[in-house]
Amino acid sequence: MPDDHAIQTQALNRIYKIRGGKKNEPKELIALRDVHIEVPRGELFGLLGPNGAGKTTLIKILTTLLAPSSGRALVAGFDVTTQAYEIRPRINMVSGGESSGYGLLTVRENLWMFSQFYGIPSKEANRRIKELLRVVGLDDRMNTKSSELSTGLRQKMNIVRGFMTNPEVLFLDEPTLGLDVGAARDVRGFIQNWVKQQSGHTILLTTHHMIEADELCDRVAIINQGRILACDSPSSLKRMLQREAIFRLRVDSINSAEPNNFEKIGGVRHFTYRPGEGHATLEFILEEEDVLTEVVNQLASHNIHLQSLEKREPSLEDVFIQLVGRSMEEVEREGTS
Amino acid sequence: MLGRLRTFRIAAWLGWQIESNWTDPFLFAVYSIVKPVAGAAILVVMYGVITRGDFSSPLFSYIYLGNAFYIYVGAVMAGISWAVIDDREHYKTLKYIYISPVRVPFYLVGRGVARFLTGTISVMITVMAGLLFLNLQLDLGTVNWLMFISALVLGVVMLANLGLLLAGVTLLIAHHFFLIGEAVASALYLFSGAIFPLDVLPDWLRPVGFAIPLTYWLELLRRALVGNVAEAFPTLSNFSNTQLFGILVGLTVGFGLLSTLIFRWCDHQARERGLIDMVTNY
Amino acid sequence: MKEPVEVSRPYSAKLFLQTVIARAYPRVIGAQRERSWMFFDVFLPFLSVSAYVFVYRAIGAPETYIGFVVMGGAMIAFWMNILWGMSSQLYWEKEQGNLALYIMAPNSMMAILLGMALGGMVATTLRALVIILVGSLAFNVQFALVSFWALLGTFLLTMVALYGMGMMFSSIFLMLNREAWHLANLAQEPIFLFSGFYFPIKSLGFWIAAGASIIPLSVGMDAMRQLVFPDGPTFGFLDVRIELAILVILSIGFILGARYLLAAMERLAIREGRLTESRR
Repeated sequence: MPDDHAIQTQALNRIYKIRGGKKNEPKELIALRDVHIEVPRGELFGLLGPNGAGKTTLIKILTTLLAPSSGRALVAGFDVTTQAYEIRPRINMVSGGESSGYGLLTVRENLWMFSQFYGIPSKEANRRIKELLRVVGLDDRMNTKSSELSTGLRQKMNIVRGFMTNPEVLFLDEPTLGLDVGAARDVRGFIQNWVKQQSGHTILLTTHHMIEADELCDRVAIINQGRILACDSPSSLKRMLQREAIFRLRVDSINSAEPNNFEKIGGVRHFTYRPGEGHATLEFILEEEDVLTEVVNQLASHNIHLQSLEKREPSLEDVFIQLVGRSMEEVEREGTS
Repeated sequence: MLGRLRTFRIAAWLGWQIESNWTDPFLFAVYSIVKPVAGAAILVVMYGVITRGDFSSPLFSYIYLGNAFYIYVGAVMAGISWAVIDDREHYKTLKYIYISPVRVPFYLVGRGVARFLTGTISVMITVMAGLLFLNLQLDLGTVNWLMFISALVLGVVMLANLGLLLAGVTLLIAHHFFLIGEAVASALYLFSGAIFPLDVLPDWLRPVGFAIPLTYWLELLRRALVGNVAEAFPTLSNFSNTQLFGILVGLTVGFGLLSTLIFRWCDHQARERGLIDMVTNY
Repeated sequence: MKEPVEVSRPYSAKLFLQTVIARAYPRVIGAQRERSWMFFDVFLPFLSVSAYVFVYRAIGAPETYIGFVVMGGAMIAFWMNILWGMSSQLYWEKEQGNLALYIMAPNSMMAILLGMALGGMVATTLRALVIILVGSLAFNVQFALVSFWALLGTFLLTMVALYGMGMMFSSIFLMLNREAWHLANLAQEPIFLFSGFYFPIKSLGFWIAAGASIIPLSVGMDAMRQLVFPDGPTFGFLDVRIELAILVILSIGFILGARYLLAAMERLAIREGRLTESRR
């Protein structure tokens, strides 16, 4: 195992046994299937997938909280199953929407407490806490009880908790979950700066926000139903779609039954339909640009008035669609229904 | 009114789901038996050692039955007040209950029903153990069932009022490691004449016993179950059954009003201070 | 912010101590900021213990038993601290997401548990002291202290064994969810019974008392009663020296057992994915 990898997994599987009804046999839920990833030190690596894809399970395994059912995982060169105690001093984790800490303690006290679990001397811990709180803009709330913080501020406190131990490998599990646009932008900015400043430190970030993965990550693995479907830099992933043409059309409101017809047009790889107030947005991934003529003809034959047409660059969402056949939103909707 | 009943019914169903489905029936049965029997056994050993096993004395039946029915006190009061902590800090649903069109007190009392039911199982097991193994002087043929059931029902209403009062207080305080319902219940053990006649208390403490409804409730239960035992202890012998019922009804209504006022005040305070969704575990 | 990566050695004595202090901190501060516990956790238990005193008065027990109840009532505080402040507390830590962070950090679970227990010790000690002091004064308990140092030694040894047992017990809670609360509740009365909180364990008969001696409080309290009450030795189960020897064995056994079981249960919980399971 070369030492220049922060994370490495080989044929990693995790199966959960789920209790069924009273008389049912326990069911098996395959959360991870044959996962291979290699993350070199110093990389900001993204794991992109819909809810329930297996992202959090993978993070739990890599942070030594969950054992793999089979396969192997190494973090900072150590085996998660047999060398957890070597890994733990070197890692930390921040999850979105977490409510860790104690409501009766202030922000500073909560952070100090966690710093002690990593053996950081109090003086040094307080210095780091102060500095990091300033960076995330929470220094004026240092002495506020954490129960009195808003969701966004609480998450910033958690971010500081994760970063203050200066971990070799940091796991960020949906770190912007539940945050408003401004707070999410602040958090992303902080993550980016930290990686730039810390050479050799690695971040594994899970997200189901395409923009987050695109904006932050050196490389992204796309995961669905426990399988890694692709793994490369965002630009390389998007190059997978360089032959395809992606168009966004804004049209007058249309009958909800009509969109079904567009899927059937030859050369349409994928089609999404989003109704709006007095209009609808249609997005097409086409095998080639020429197919657009047929699409426009179809619109005309249905008396649908075209308001605007735009060709756009492929996004990671399109890559996901290309790989899975459905958008992430559709996959999540199916998962909950 | 229908809406309140619906709230109560749904809360009772929810409470039962939470209370009963944490384990398999076997462990649930063990839990239901071991806890009350061990609790009663403490008093049995204390009594047995000192009296050299004179379990036929009326005093034993007094202590044993008082202790058995006192299980309800902890169960109902803790059941109702604990729902505040459980929903606020664990399930984090208290805020949603508040914004829904239900009356929170009805909901909380409904949540206490499950503990009342498990408490009933404990009471029955304790009494059965006394009958089977300890020569408890209880003849089911001579029990005044009407009086027993009336007193029991009235007592449960009274306990629910006390539980609601504690639920109000719980809205304002942190999640401590102990159950305040059980802490209060175990303290009232001292004043209610549950396990010793009130005459044993110093003069200056007795008025507390006479001021709380639990004392009259337990006396009524004893009179209904073992009339001769109740007669052996003079504390409340000057009162007829009707008078005892009258006092219990009066105190239940009085405590009901007090609970309502205190709950409303605490509820207002909790909302003013933003405590409805606090998480205070420390 | 370019610092070298520091790696604390897991299980180093310094980290152990830091962890104990850090986890005790919220308990101490929390208790200070939310003082409502004083009424519920100190005053009310005193009333509850008093009820048992009056039971003895009602059945005409010798005064020695009153002293036994007062001491038992004080010692209950420590068992309650273990049960509710330590063992079942892990359930709340899990629900809040703290348990995962504790496990993931390079510290020892024993240090976390000890921190919880020591943090709660302010409340526990106050409760025990109030019951002993006020109870002794109110009920005119007579003491005849044989040796202060012997008493202190016995008390400390009992605490080591008791908290060792508490930690072993806590390991089970790593695997539990909602049932944790019920298990803690279940362990309350039987321990009250077999520890002889309210009567000398000799009353249980030799074999039951011998079996109950696996609970450190049983032998510890029996020895302490023999050391402080005039009639203590008459009601003693075994010679104090034998009871001290049992406590030493229990201390070693429980501490080692706790260490082994906590590690084993952590492994099991990791395998079965129980450390982060949430609300149900």
